[in-house]
This record gives sequence, C-alpha cells and structure tokens, in this order.
Amino acid sequence: MKKIRTLIIEDEAPARELIRFMLSDHPDIEVVGECGDGFCGAREIKEKRPDLIFLDIQMPKLTGFELLEVIDEKPEVIFTTAFDQYAIRAFELNAVDYLLKPFSKDRFDDALGKALNRLGKEEPDHERIEKLVTTASEAEGYLTRIVFRKGAGIKIIPLNSVSYLAAEDDYVMIYYNEGKALKPKTMKYYEEHLPPSLFIRVHRSYIVNVEQISRLEPYSKDNYVAILKSGEKIPVSRAGYKILREKLSF
Amino acid sequence: MKHPLLENRTRLLIWWLAWLILGAGQSLLIHFVYGSRLEVAIADGLVSMIIFGLLGLAIWFPVRFLLKDDNQLYVNIFNVLLTGTFTLTIWLVGSRFITRLMVSEKVDYDIFWHSVLVFRATAGILIFFMLLLIYYLFLSATRLAEKAARQSQLETQVREGELKMLRSQINPHFLFNSLNSVSSLTVTNPLKAREMIVKLSDFMRYSLSSRNEQPVTLGTEMESLRLYLQIEKVRFGERLMIEEEISPDCLPALMPGMLLQPLYENAVKHGVYESTGEVIIKTTARKEDELVKITVTNNVDTDSVVTRKGAGIGLRNVSSRLELFFGDRADLTVNRKDDSFTVELKFPFRKS
Repeated sequence: MKKIRTLIIEDEAPARELIRFMLSDHPDIEVVGECGDGFCGAREIKEKRPDLIFLDIQMPKLTGFELLEVIDEKPEVIFTTAFDQYAIRAFELNAVDYLLKPFSKDRFDDALGKALNRLGKEEPDHERIEKLVTTASEAEGYLTRIVFRKGAGIKIIPLNSVSYLAAEDDYVMIYYNEGKALKPKTMKYYEEHLPPSLFIRVHRSYIVNVEQISRLEPYSKDNYVAILKSGEKIPVSRAGYKILREKLSF
Repeated sequence: MKHPLLENRTRLLIWWLAWLILGAGQSLLIHFVYGSRLEVAIADGLVSMIIFGLLGLAIWFPVRFLLKDDNQLYVNIFNVLLTGTFTLTIWLVGSRFITRLMVSEKVDYDIFWHSVLVFRATAGILIFFMLLLIYYLFLSATRLAEKAARQSQLETQVREGELKMLRSQINPHFLFNSLNSVSSLTVTNPLKAREMIVKLSDFMRYSLSSRNEQPVTLGTEMESLRLYLQIEKVRFGERLMIEEEISPDCLPALMPGMLLQPLYENAVKHGVYESTGEVIIKTTARKEDELVKITVTNNVDTDSVVTRKGAGIGLRNVSSRLELFFGDRADLTVNRKDDSFTVELKFPFRKS
C-alpha cells in the first residue's frame, strides 16, 4: 500500500515532536519533512508534494493561512492551534479538521482518520480549503499584509507600501511600490478586509490607500480624479468622493 | 440639572397651593386687621402671591447659574442682592399695578398701599430669602448625590481596570502552548516534563498572589519571571535566548508584582513569534541615585513586515501600575529601533 506522505509545519520543536510521536503508531504514514516556519513549509510542499500537512497557524514570516494562499498544491490540511474561540468557530463551519493544543491522542487519531478517509476517497476539496482560509482570516480581523507568489519565491507586502487595488475581471490587481500582483479575490473581499482607516473604495473598480493620495482634482461635472504620490491617476466616483470627504474630513 | 418644580407636577401643585394659602392669609389679614373691603383684600392677596409664585419659579435660574461654591464670597453676595432687588421691585410694582386695575376705589387703594409698603417689602424680603434657602439646599443635595454617583462610577471603573489588567497578565495562549509542550515532553523527556509542570505551577501561583497588589522585591519578581522565560524557552528552544545583567544592590527594591511580565510577553510576541532567527531578551537592572532603572530589550527581525500592533495596551497597563504605585516619580520609556525594541522603567528605590 502506498504510504501517506506527511509534512509537519509547526514553529515549536516540542509540538513537532509530539505530532511525530503520535504518528509513530500509524505505519501507513510517512513523515517526509518538518518545517519551523511558513516559508520552509511552502518550499517543502512544492518540492515534496505531501498528501497531508499538519499546519500551525501562528508562525513567523508566513502564517498558516497565508501559506495556503500561496501554494498551488492543495494537500489535505489538519490545523494545529492554541487559537481562540472565533477561529474555532470558523473551523467548525468547514470540514477541514483542526487540533486544539493541547490535544489528546484520541482526538489526534480521530482527525487523522478523517483526513485519511478523505484522501482515500476523493481529490482534496479545494473549494472547502479556500472557504476555510477566507472565514478563518475573517475571524482574525483586518489584513496586516498581502502575500503572493513571485517566481519561485513568496513576496510579503506590508499594507503601507500598497498604493491601490484595481478590479481586473474576476481578479484584483494590487499595485505596490515595487510592482503589481494579481490575486484571485474580489473587490468586495478587499473592501471588507483591508483596514478602512487606510483603504477606501473610491470607485466600483478601485480601492486606494489614502496615504498615497497627493491631491484630488475635478474631472467632469460629477467625477473626480485622485492623483497619487507616484503620479498615477485613479478615477473617483461621486459616492467615492463623498466617502473620501468623510474619512479625510475636508 | 432640571428645574426642581417645573419637572415635577406634584411639586408644582404643592407650590401653587402654598402660595394660595399665603395669599388667602394675606387677604384675611388685610380684611380683618386693616379693614379693607373683602374684594379688595382678596384681589390684593391673590395678585401679589401669584406674582411672587411666578417670580419664585424664576429665581431658580440665578440660584442655579450664579451661586457657585467656587465663586468669591462677594460675587455671590452681589448676585443674591441683585436678584433680590430685581424680584422685589418687579413684585411690588407688578402687584400694585395689576391690583389697582382690578379695584374700583383707586385712591383708597393707593393710601392703603403706602401705609403697608414697609411691612409688605419686609415680608417680601423674608420670603425671598426663604426661597433662596430652599433652592440652595436642593441644589447642594443634588450636587452631592451627583458627586456620590460619579465617585461610585469611578470606583467601578478602577475595579474594572484592575480586572482587565489581571486578565491581560496571563495570556491563555501561553498556557495552552505550554501545556502542549508538556504533553510533548512526557514522551520525549518525562523528567523535563515534570520540571516544566512545577515551573508552570510556581509561576501561576506567583501570578495569582500578585492580585492582592502586595509589593514584592525585584529579586522575587525576577525569580518568578525567570520561570516564565524558561517555560517559553522550552517552546522555542534556540530561537529564544535569555540574558540578564542585574546589579545585586537593586534586588531588595519594592515594586508591584508581575509588573515586568507584559514586557516579556511583548518581547516574545513581537520578537520570537515574528522571527525565524535567534531572539535575545535581555534584562538589565541597576541603581542610580535612589532610582532603579530596569530595561528589557529584544532584537527584532529586520525582515519582519508586520507593523507592531496591539503593543500599546500591555505597556499602558505597566505604565499605569507604575504610576499607581510610585506616583509621578516613576517613568516608562519605549525605544523602538529598526532592529531592537527596548522598554525602560525607572522608579524610586524603596526597601521594606
């Protein structure tokens, strides 16, 4: 029988050892690697293509949620976390399993059993994981950074270097100080998840970082155009202009 | 504050009833003692008391807004005299004018008016001061009640603040993650697991005992927080290094217990959590001219793009506890550099 290739991504060594130990009496599992941070995790998933990952949420550099955002491969995921109630609720809405630290062997075996069951039957349900990442990050509050893949690496952009976001069909193009990146998300998602003190939807197709605006100029009778510090021009609708006025109080 | 009479129907009814009785009394007095005709007596009594009743309602406003405890005495006296003069003048002129319209023998009434003017004015002054007194008592009572309500509200806030402070002291994640490490150690190193349970218990005990706000010595505080850092070190291993430079002469210094814990929690959260490399948490303490100076420094991963958020509350709590304990002679400063984060505390050296 083919062994289930498993990767442990967890930033605390004792926690990794515990998972390894709890896996030791499952001969059908092969641990193909261990990672102490999200970057390593993303790299190892690409290289080793595990069937199953144990994924910690709170990790340096790249959180568990962010890691799932930047990988193409979608292995079966079991989250491990000491997270609070909100996140747990988000998990419960979805079928992806989670282990609440500290966890019992029974609970561990149970989660593992479910994951193996799904692996045996079907392809991992991408939509489910996608939804989980969305709901779970909702529980975390506003985004603090935006993560995407660039070539072979992963790029993390702090929000203050993002100048604006523009709708591109079903995607959103993010313009930041060093370039641009396409994310498979909606404008509505970013409107709701970027901190409203910094980002304002000034137009149906544009969200702008207010700190990057250098001035506003009238464009036509009802429309304005925002001129950014970089010189780029962003259309501002009448409704957008109203919100800008309110937020910036001019 | 609303008008004590206008806002309450019953009080207003009693007010007018009292004036009616006073007016009736005055009418009887005039009729039987002075010998005026009954209708003149009734008109005079009623008109003067209705007018005084109306003026009496109005007196509330100068009492409320012009008489203040923090005014100079002469200002208050001046205000009272001014209000009294106004009230009395309007009362006398008004009631004479209106009553005169109502009676038929106007010359008789004028004679009567002049003969009792002094008596009437004296009575008016007495009534005026009586009203002043009543209003003033009411005002004082209300202000006192408000003050008491504010006081108790403040006390609740302080208590709530204290509770919040305590809650923030031990982060549940710390406990759960530590227990997870213990769970792991029971397999890999049972002896160390037992040690960690003891450390965790000792630390929890210290944290609970700090609730009674009994001062502790810096020595005791450091002993317990060393436990906290050692527990964290089990979780993070080589990623967390602990350094100390504590001069022995400041160990007996008294301070509130668990004061430094939020500093270490922040250092772990913003240093170790966000970095894959080694993070050193360094504590120094020394005595300088009767002041104890403590610094807690951690290096910060320069690649880390997460702007520090939520660091404020913990530090604010430390700062307010310092202030509660030492008054304004204590001080907390934060020094944020690209690659390090330092919090410095200064407080007066006191021994038990």
